[in-house]
Amino acid sequence: MELITLNNTLPRVFAGHNGIHSDVWLQDVRLERGKRYLISAESGTGKSSMCSYIYGYRQDYSGSIAFDGKDIHSLSIDQWCDIRQRHIAYLPQDMRLFGELTAMENVELKNRLTGFKTSEDIKRLFDTLGIADKLDSLASKLSIGQQQRVAIIRTLCQPFDFILLDEPVSHLDEENNRIVARLITDEAQRQGAGVIATSVGNHLKMDVDNTFNL
Amino acid sequence: MKDIIWKLLRQHISKSQLIGFAIANLIGLTIVLLAVQFYRDVRPVFNDEESFISKDYLIITRAVTGAGAMMGNNGEFSDADIQDLENQPWCRQVGRFLNSDFAIDAQLGVGSGHAMHTQFFFEAIPDEFIDIDPNAWGFSLEKPEVPVVISRDYLSLYNFGFAATQGMPKISEGQAEMLPLEFTLSGNGQRKVMSGHIVGFSNRLNTVIVPQEFMEWANGYFGSGATQHPQRLIVEVNKPGDVKIEEYMDQHNYEVAGDKMSSSKANYFLTVISGIVIAVGVIISLLSFFVLMLSIYLLLQKNTRKLQDLLLLGYSPNQVSRHYILLVVALNAAVLVLAIILMLIGRMAYMDMIHAFGISGAGIWVSILVGILIMGAITAGNIHAIRQKVNSLWLLEK
Repeated sequence: MELITLNNTLPRVFAGHNGIHSDVWLQDVRLERGKRYLISAESGTGKSSMCSYIYGYRQDYSGSIAFDGKDIHSLSIDQWCDIRQRHIAYLPQDMRLFGELTAMENVELKNRLTGFKTSEDIKRLFDTLGIADKLDSLASKLSIGQQQRVAIIRTLCQPFDFILLDEPVSHLDEENNRIVARLITDEAQRQGAGVIATSVGNHLKMDVDNTFNL
Repeated sequence: MKDIIWKLLRQHISKSQLIGFAIANLIGLTIVLLAVQFYRDVRPVFNDEESFISKDYLIITRAVTGAGAMMGNNGEFSDADIQDLENQPWCRQVGRFLNSDFAIDAQLGVGSGHAMHTQFFFEAIPDEFIDIDPNAWGFSLEKPEVPVVISRDYLSLYNFGFAATQGMPKISEGQAEMLPLEFTLSGNGQRKVMSGHIVGFSNRLNTVIVPQEFMEWANGYFGSGATQHPQRLIVEVNKPGDVKIEEYMDQHNYEVAGDKMSSSKANYFLTVISGIVIAVGVIISLLSFFVLMLSIYLLLQKNTRKLQDLLLLGYSPNQVSRHYILLVVALNAAVLVLAIILMLIGRMAYMDMIHAFGISGAGIWVSILVGILIMGAITAGNIHAIRQKVNSLWLLEK
């Protein structure tokens, strides 16, 4: 997948609102593989909605979204599964970890689907992010910041053309922000992938090619 | 590594609901299987295919009336009567009973010295009406021996009526077939002693049957030579339960021998009762199916968020639903196996009674097949519903 385009897209809840001034909604937006984008937004402007549209689990919008020119409405469930396993990595804002599983199990749940990383790779990532001692802790027992880091590791456990991060560092300190940014940009670079990160304030510390104000 | 997905999805599984379903379905399915099996086991009692008159044969006689006897009507069927019978649409073919036109004295030798004498009679019908296949059937003058088929009732009469009260030994069919018989045939100025033995037992035909070729020879040799009209006919019919047959018989004052008519009524009631019992079993199974459905829906509902999150990770709806499907299949298979075992246990309880009728019982495969079909349908319904439900979680907002 080389290109994600949004044409005249608008969440249905915004329909009829006058004075929408956005770089994304009701515009033609091109997100290219290999580039880095920041979607800067105020709360309530539809940033998570945009992610859910691109990731294919909500369709409550007008206009169209296409992958390589192909409208995503036409994709089958099998194609979506393939996209979620091998083309688009996604970190939801609310992380969606399974509280009843350990941190490691949460990551393995994704990794055994893709077989992308070895157990050692994963442990090294835990180590890098300073949560090596939390491998076997239940996700529900972790702090929000720790959960965010586990979720980031899980997101990295797959090949991708784009990595879609919904407020990836909202609960991280400067130091961890930097580490996460480096991990993500390194991985994206290795795969020649595009990075799309949203933020309401605490931006992911990476250089970007383009910033959209939502 | 243990199955992480199952660790997630098994949460909220209500054991009591599943056990409730399993018990209800087990009861329903066992009732169905037992009813089917019982019906198949018992039906031959009413509808004996080994019988001389199998379900497609009727034996008819003229009703004996005082007036008829006074007028010299000896109950014979004329050629015209038979012709008319053969022309009926429900009639396939008609066989004539041939009576012996000579005197017979039978001697049953029991060891040396003891012997039982009795006057005797023979009847014969064409071989194609005999649906048991006795050994050594037939007759030739080179080796003059008379094979006979007798009613099984005669043996029962001896065993349970005579032997039981007179302190005589009971004899089995095998022993009876080994008893040496001696027939003294006389008439037309001739007299001949011939040996014979029993070669088979008929369940319903109340007579003594010998091969037709023997009867023809003996009637010619010892008989008066007068043309004989049969007093009994055996009729092969298309549909034994046909009302038209009964109408025809009434109209011509013919009587259908044996319990054929009443047995077909009993057979009918057996079918109806089995049908009702099976329906009750099916209803219980169906209700239990809805209990399971409800339980699964609740389970999926409680796990909705987890299922959605798994889908977001890239798991396909099939991968996610597979675990619940496996659960249902395993549960249903266990219920099926248990129901079959219970059916077999229940069957053992009534088989003694079936054996007492001299019937070995039907095979169990039809019942098992019925069980597999019902369980297959229930399982297919469950699987469909699970798939449907999981697929409905695919989109959060349309």
